[in-house]
Amino acid sequence: MQILVAVDHNPYSSHAVDEVAKLAANTWANVSLLGVEPRNTINGPSLAASDGLGPETLFSLRDLFLSHFNRETSPYTPAEPGQALTEVRKGIYEASTAPGHTQKKLVLRLRSGSPVKEVLSEAKEEESDLIVLGCDNSSGCGWKNDSGMPRKVASDAPCSVLIVKKRKDVKRIMCCLDHDRVSQASLEMINQLVTLHEAQLTIVGLSGGASLKEEVESKMANILRYYHSRGIEPWIEQVEAASLNSYIAEESRWGLMALWMGKQSIIEKALPRGKVDKLIKGGDASVLILR
Amino acid sequence: MINALVSLNADLASSIAFRYSCLLTGVADIRLQPIHVEQVDKNGYPPGSGWVRSTWEKGLLHTATEEISQLLYAERSSCPPLDTTIVRIGDREEELLKELEEHAYEILLEGVLNSFDSRLFKQKVHSKLFKEAPCPIILVKNLVNPDRMALLLGDPKDVKPLVSCFLRLFGKSRVTVDLVYYIVKKTGQPEFRKKAADSAGPDWEKAVRVIDEAKVLLAEDGWTPEESWIIQDSIKRIGDMMGEYGLVGAYTPRSTSRKQQIMDLLSRVPSATLSCKW
Repeated sequence: MQILVAVDHNPYSSHAVDEVAKLAANTWANVSLLGVEPRNTINGPSLAASDGLGPETLFSLRDLFLSHFNRETSPYTPAEPGQALTEVRKGIYEASTAPGHTQKKLVLRLRSGSPVKEVLSEAKEEESDLIVLGCDNSSGCGWKNDSGMPRKVASDAPCSVLIVKKRKDVKRIMCCLDHDRVSQASLEMINQLVTLHEAQLTIVGLSGGASLKEEVESKMANILRYYHSRGIEPWIEQVEAASLNSYIAEESRWGLMALWMGKQSIIEKALPRGKVDKLIKGGDASVLILR
Repeated sequence: MINALVSLNADLASSIAFRYSCLLTGVADIRLQPIHVEQVDKNGYPPGSGWVRSTWEKGLLHTATEEISQLLYAERSSCPPLDTTIVRIGDREEELLKELEEHAYEILLEGVLNSFDSRLFKQKVHSKLFKEAPCPIILVKNLVNPDRMALLLGDPKDVKPLVSCFLRLFGKSRVTVDLVYYIVKKTGQPEFRKKAADSAGPDWEKAVRVIDEAKVLLAEDGWTPEESWIIQDSIKRIGDMMGEYGLVGAYTPRSTSRKQQIMDLLSRVPSATLSCKW
């Protein structure tokens, strides 16, 4: 599993790194911490004059990430003192520790340009499975320098996106999947998050009318068995597609909402992009867009 | 030994209900009798009689038996050995009522998917089967462990029939039970959930009296509730709170005005509900 964490120098990014560290401890994922500087602020290999995110922030977020692991049992190589970012390609600076045979990669990367564009390029180049971003709850889940950044990434990313909002705990996770086409990877992702937060999982089945479609029902039965065999006892709930908006509006019930937004998704039709933006912008539930 | 009839179809709701029923046998002395009624088409039986009709029925029965066998086989690891499934053809509600009456079952279990739209649950409880069933009915919405139960108390008249119903079914079981006195919040009123033991004073007199009466009735059979609660909140939130219990029991009177509120509440419970009525 390849996780890309897009960070800046604000506290919500530290929170996102905390969450990813917990997820990585369970999944032993390869992790990249990516910062993006406005163009022309990165001044050569020393990066001495950088006044934005800067390498110091990246190194300190890496230390925060590694603090979640025991040095002896960590799948990540410990930080090397005095390490610096070096230019690996034009405008892309990197610091990574060479992993041993059994170890996982932890890469720090700094790019310059538009944050949205650079995060999406990085995800594509690295073939990330998941992009994680924190956001500022108080300003409609924006980033300090770009209020629409998390929403734009969620909307255009080629992979799943987790937008982490700061809240005390995630007790309930709602997982609204397109049950016709649910992938093993997305089920596993939910599994990890449920285990991580020791949360109650509710799987929502969308129905066109009074009852679920036969194939959706059969898929839900399989999903139930899948989770039961992993010691997770999800609840199921049937929601008419027409009521999905009001159902989701009851956000206070959920600590995290997971939505399958594939091209063929029923949810894609039932929940237009504007509504998803609203979901990310408002409320304090973290949002996981599964692709 | 309690004789329970478990109504099954080849669907998700039945799969959940069946597994729940199996869990129930782990905490209570219950014998499960699965039954499936193959509903005839809206148009009724096809034209024909004698050999033609008999062959058609046999084919239908065979297919239905196969489908239910597959469902039971998939869940076999979590269930005790069962009697042979009864398979009938006809009107589902009529056939179930006939079976319940002929063999004096003490409880009926059925699955119904937990739904955001409470109309689906209400359709079920306003059905002929629900109205005329000679025994209590458990509607299973989600697979939960039934070892922790709650009895919903509101009207003082409900206490005796509800506690008797619970004791008759689960008097010899290994479950714990909480008493929950609920008050549906009106606009402007505060919401709260407090232990009955911390609710002294005239404001709580009625609630405490009802809870005490239930405690006395339970004690006559050697039962002590694990905890007693007084909750004031919206129906939706009370229902949601009841999700922590594996079975939520309520007395569902025949009188429509009182029945309406309790049915609204039960429709919001996401786990499993027990409706007792006389």
